Amino acid sequence: MSGFTKSAQQWATFARSWYLIDAKMQPPGKIAAMCSVRLQGKHKPIYHALSDIGDHVVVINTRHVAFSGNKWEQKVYSSHTGYPGGFKQVTAAQLHQKDPKAIMKLAVYGMLPRNLSRRTMMQRLHLFPDDVIPEDILRNITEELPQPRTVPKKLSEYTQEEREAFPRLWTPPEDFRMK
Amino acid sequence: MTSRGTPSRFLKSVLQNGVGRYVCQLKRLSLVFSKVGQSSLGAREYIEEGVVDFARQNPGIVVYVSPQSHTVPKLVAEYLNGAVKEEQIASKTSQEIAQLITKLTGQSGLEVIRIRKPIHTDSPSIQGQWHPFTNRPPALGVLRPGDRQTQ
Repeated sequence: MSGFTKSAQQWATFARSWYLIDAKMQPPGKIAAMCSVRLQGKHKPIYHALSDIGDHVVVINTRHVAFSGNKWEQKVYSSHTGYPGGFKQVTAAQLHQKDPKAIMKLAVYGMLPRNLSRRTMMQRLHLFPDDVIPEDILRNITEELPQPRTVPKKLSEYTQEEREAFPRLWTPPEDFRMK
Repeated sequence: MTSRGTPSRFLKSVLQNGVGRYVCQLKRLSLVFSKVGQSSLGAREYIEEGVVDFARQNPGIVVYVSPQSHTVPKLVAEYLNGAVKEEQIASKTSQEIAQLITKLTGQSGLEVIRIRKPIHTDSPSIQGQWHPFTNRPPALGVLRPGDRQTQ
């Protein structure tokens, strides 16, 4: 511990880390759960509800999040403008087209505790629709978190050899007529 | 009633860097009394009966017996840590005074007030305080080099 005094240790203890999450082909709820834990600081052994020790989270590729099932068409985001008849309802697909960051933002916001520090924690969430990050934010990042789901590979991403090596149940005969 | 408003301290030892260890913490005891006062009757009795035995049994404690005219009798105990404690012994019997002196001898000289935590340590952590990089691979190389075009 020489040259590393007690007070300096405490600065290190309460330092904020920056995490990177790649949301490509990931369910928004899973990503939001990871974000919410880190924004609140609940992943730290020194966690206390009254001490503001949340970390920063950078989420990239929010444009490429993947809802499962029929959520793009059937999940509805509702809001009210406050005026008479101002009740708005848009589907997830419409909202995503309007703002590719909105779905991630609402998912994380809904998972944070309903208290005064909620907006502060949201300010430490940095969303980027693509994988382009400003240089000053990239410099802060210390760790990339593993994705909760493996990204599926497209058929076009396989080479010809891999496609031919794919196991087949049966080889169609020469005169087989594909419908 | 909550005890938040009462005076409190943290748990402490009187080791004094090891010098005060295993040592009676009471270093000086003055017995102030009056030669004629009615309230000093018990004190005078104790001086006749017990004070010499007490001083012989506790060679580490300096015992003063000081008669002062027309004074309220009291015991003044001084401890190794500098604390001075006064106990009134007006109208007390010699047995009560002997009990009081036994109590003063056994005390450490620290204030007898509420202790905030029943535990204390001078070295809070041997393995070092937690910080964001404990049990975590070092920063560089954790970002995936593959599809991050900015790397």
